[in-house]
Amino acid sequence: MSELTSESTIYVTYIAAAPEKVWAALTSSEFTRQYFFVRTVESDWKQGSPWLLRRPDGAIDVKGEVLESDPPRKLVVSWNVDGNEYMRALPAAVVTYEIEPVGDAVIRLTMTEAHPTPIPAYLLEGGRRGWPMIFSGLKSLLETGKPLNIPTPQPPKED
Amino acid sequence: MAQSRFVYVTFIRTTPEKLWDALTKPEFTRVYWYDMWQDCDWKEGSSWKLMFSDGRIADQGTILASERPKRLVIAWQNEWKPELKAEGPSCATFEIEPAGPAVKLTVTHEIPVAESKLIDAVSGGWPLILSGLKSLLETGEKLAIPHPHPRAENA
Repeated sequence: MSELTSESTIYVTYIAAAPEKVWAALTSSEFTRQYFFVRTVESDWKQGSPWLLRRPDGAIDVKGEVLESDPPRKLVVSWNVDGNEYMRALPAAVVTYEIEPVGDAVIRLTMTEAHPTPIPAYLLEGGRRGWPMIFSGLKSLLETGKPLNIPTPQPPKED
Repeated sequence: MAQSRFVYVTFIRTTPEKLWDALTKPEFTRVYWYDMWQDCDWKEGSSWKLMFSDGRIADQGTILASERPKRLVIAWQNEWKPELKAEGPSCATFEIEPAGPAVKLTVTHEIPVAESKLIDAVSGGWPLILSGLKSLLETGEKLAIPHPHPRAENA
């Protein structure tokens, strides 16, 4: 059995795009399917509303609740991975996206994946591998208009 | 070695060779790395210096490993800020791997000091520097961020 952890994962990137554009890229399927491993999102993105992330085959990958929504600055969602029974039984993570202007043409995007209830440490690896791919793809898409198309990684396995 | 470590990963649409050159050549680093440049022949065992644009030394050290275009390891001593200099040498490792149509860059900066102020400083600096590097390689343009005060922002 892997040890338990409540460590957060933080990823920061700077993107030459308007805050509204980055907000749209985080919350609209026309963008997410181009950088988030071909997944789509569904929500009205209002505080208290449900949200979900859907795999290209239609299966639900992640679901949760919109905990805070302050477009185009801050979005906080609970994050329940729905892949299988074991993952469904895990406590929800809380994912926060913050968009801050840095100068006139660039924003700083900070993603924090927090675990209010400890989870097995190896499960952090999925996010630590995935988030850099996701945000690298998002930055490329917004700055060049073209998706980065990094191959989708496999989920983490317990040692 | 680490008691303190910062790891940053980014994926860039480029080739390993171009990324290596962008990490090492002054004409690139001056664009995305606070106008700074490195004085080095990039051979294992050689001395390494990171220079402010005015010619002062920001950091210096030794090349511990240099395998173009895959892996670069630098023994990295801060020289410009007394509280960071006092922590002694750190180690910065740059790893470049193909990832489909892109290249994966992993930067690991570590030091055998608990709760290191140097690692705290570079944790803020690397995402900014490497975001600018990615923009430069993918768009050909400099990321238009206000020039941060190098004494405050960068180790």
